[in-house]
Amino acid sequence: MRFLSLALKNLLRRPVRTILTTAGVALAVAVAVSLAGFNLGYRRAIERSIDRLGFQVMIMAKGCPYEAATMMLKGGTGLLYLPSDTYDQVRSDPEIASITSIFIGIAEREASSIRGDSSNAFAVLTGVEPKSLTEMKPWLEFQTGAGFDGGRWFSRPDEVVMGYEAATYEQRKVGDTYMVNVSPYGSSGSVLKEFKIVGVLKRTGTQDDGTVFLPIKTAQSIFNRPDHLTILGMKLRHFSGASLQEFESRWAKLPEVQVVSLQQVKSTLVMLVGTAQVMIVAVTVIAILVAVIGVINTILMSVYERTGEIGVMKALGAFRGDVFQLIWLETLMVCVAGAVAGSALALGGSRLTEGAIKALINIGIQGSLVTITWPVLLGAFGGAAVVGFFAGLYPAWRAASMLPVDAIREGIG
Amino acid sequence: MDNRTPRLIEARDLKRYYQRGSETVKAVDGIDLEIIAGEMVSVLGPSGSGKTTLLHLLSCLDSPTGGTLMINQRSVSGLKEDELTSVRRGFLGFVFQRFYLLPTLSVAENVELPLIFYRRAVSRRETLDVLRRVNLEDRAAHMPNQLSGGEMQRVAIARALITSPKILIADEPTGNLDTENGIAVFDLFRALVEEQGISVVVTSHNVRLGYRADRIITLADGKITREQKGPRLMQLLRITA
Repeated sequence: MRFLSLALKNLLRRPVRTILTTAGVALAVAVAVSLAGFNLGYRRAIERSIDRLGFQVMIMAKGCPYEAATMMLKGGTGLLYLPSDTYDQVRSDPEIASITSIFIGIAEREASSIRGDSSNAFAVLTGVEPKSLTEMKPWLEFQTGAGFDGGRWFSRPDEVVMGYEAATYEQRKVGDTYMVNVSPYGSSGSVLKEFKIVGVLKRTGTQDDGTVFLPIKTAQSIFNRPDHLTILGMKLRHFSGASLQEFESRWAKLPEVQVVSLQQVKSTLVMLVGTAQVMIVAVTVIAILVAVIGVINTILMSVYERTGEIGVMKALGAFRGDVFQLIWLETLMVCVAGAVAGSALALGGSRLTEGAIKALINIGIQGSLVTITWPVLLGAFGGAAVVGFFAGLYPAWRAASMLPVDAIREGIG
Repeated sequence: MDNRTPRLIEARDLKRYYQRGSETVKAVDGIDLEIIAGEMVSVLGPSGSGKTTLLHLLSCLDSPTGGTLMINQRSVSGLKEDELTSVRRGFLGFVFQRFYLLPTLSVAENVELPLIFYRRAVSRRETLDVLRRVNLEDRAAHMPNQLSGGEMQRVAIARALITSPKILIADEPTGNLDTENGIAVFDLFRALVEEQGISVVVTSHNVRLGYRADRIITLADGKITREQKGPRLMQLLRITA
């Protein structure tokens, strides 16, 4: 038998109390691991989602930068438009390596009122120019298999290509008809439009999955905005801070547009959940503090209960350091056991956490928002050990400081 | 006592005073005492006579407020707690009225407990040997709650013996036991003294048990009021002289 097994057996004397204290630590660790996993996962998800947009810089109509940031990821109904001649003015800029113009319009799904599905009543129609779009998004591929073979980009004004989720939701395949109600700009009524589906895209894990692509001219025409665009997406030759700043200052002179780099978008999206993160960090800190107090209280209580025993241990030859080590080890064991249980809880509950976070702050980020990695878990273990280190100091010092004669006397009393 | 007799403990004018409010309590008040190898000493006296305080002083669990105390020919005056522990280690063994067995450890593990603090490798054979000496070899794997009071006290004695002490100090070891078990414990002490040459200093309320020792010291108000030497002690003193 060694110190470790003696400490473990001491803890097992009050199993319920030990389990409850460990559960307190586990809960704090689970919150901390989930938060760290969310921080990491969220940043990665933002980077992944924005990188999958395919361009580095956007030019869009002046407006709320938050709306601008989320619109490309999540879509939105409050669309702003910029003059289509912006494209002609900007494309000659020598810094631009490639450029694509995009027109986004929101249409009402045909028969959505019959389905009674008001949350999915709208369809995002994205007018694009396939050649420049696929240059920027080379990963776009057509779905194959029964009903999907022969997919291609549109060559006629009444043809559309559907994203994977849009096609699944509408239960459409290549060759089917797609109908939507469009409200042209300046008109009070809506017009039913019919298209032929010529391709369904493979799942990309981005907003493109829920989009219906159509020729940009068609989109501008059916929404009665022939001279408008929603976004100009660009890749620059030199995507560094200085050249980006120069590019921005060159085009900031245009009265109705704003230049938004996707780096800015990333920062904006990180800021969007900043407040929530501060709140979660505060909750975590409180949980850790409560756990620490719980651990100190439990170990201290156990020290006082074993006053006589501690006196006898000293009488039997235990030095102050031995008693300190024993009590301290008990504290560390509670904290490390809590770290193991908490990490397991966080790992097991990560999907649940992710669902809760997405429900709380849905900004259209695709993919996993909670990423629990080995460094995160090691950090949790290290943190729990540090907490155990400090939480154990006082009870261990109290036990080590007991004079054997007093301890034995108190124990007898 | 002869000057050539080996003295394991030697106390001269030993005092332990406490302050209780404005009153000074003289728990031990000028005691002269020597413990030699291989003797069994009983300390008798009514409650509050200073028996336990004297034992705590002799076993370096408490520090005297006056006089001198030599343990194993080393003065322990002014030593710090860990230094006193070093003096105790391997020299003094303890048995208390309450057994203080750890409930989650088996009998064998309880016996081995001091060796953890000694950082000594634990040999189960050694443990079983000690348990055999207290007739509990077959109880090694049992838990304390499966033992009777007498058996628990014998485990506590085995725990004290595992470090091979020269002196066993027992404070009211029969206080929680019935007469039969009390006699068994004192018989065990006698066997340790006579067969293994260990000195035993024991306090007891039970005068009949106390008179089984080689020397009986009676305390009252912190002073020795009477000291009786049995024939074996006289013989022992003659041999060592």
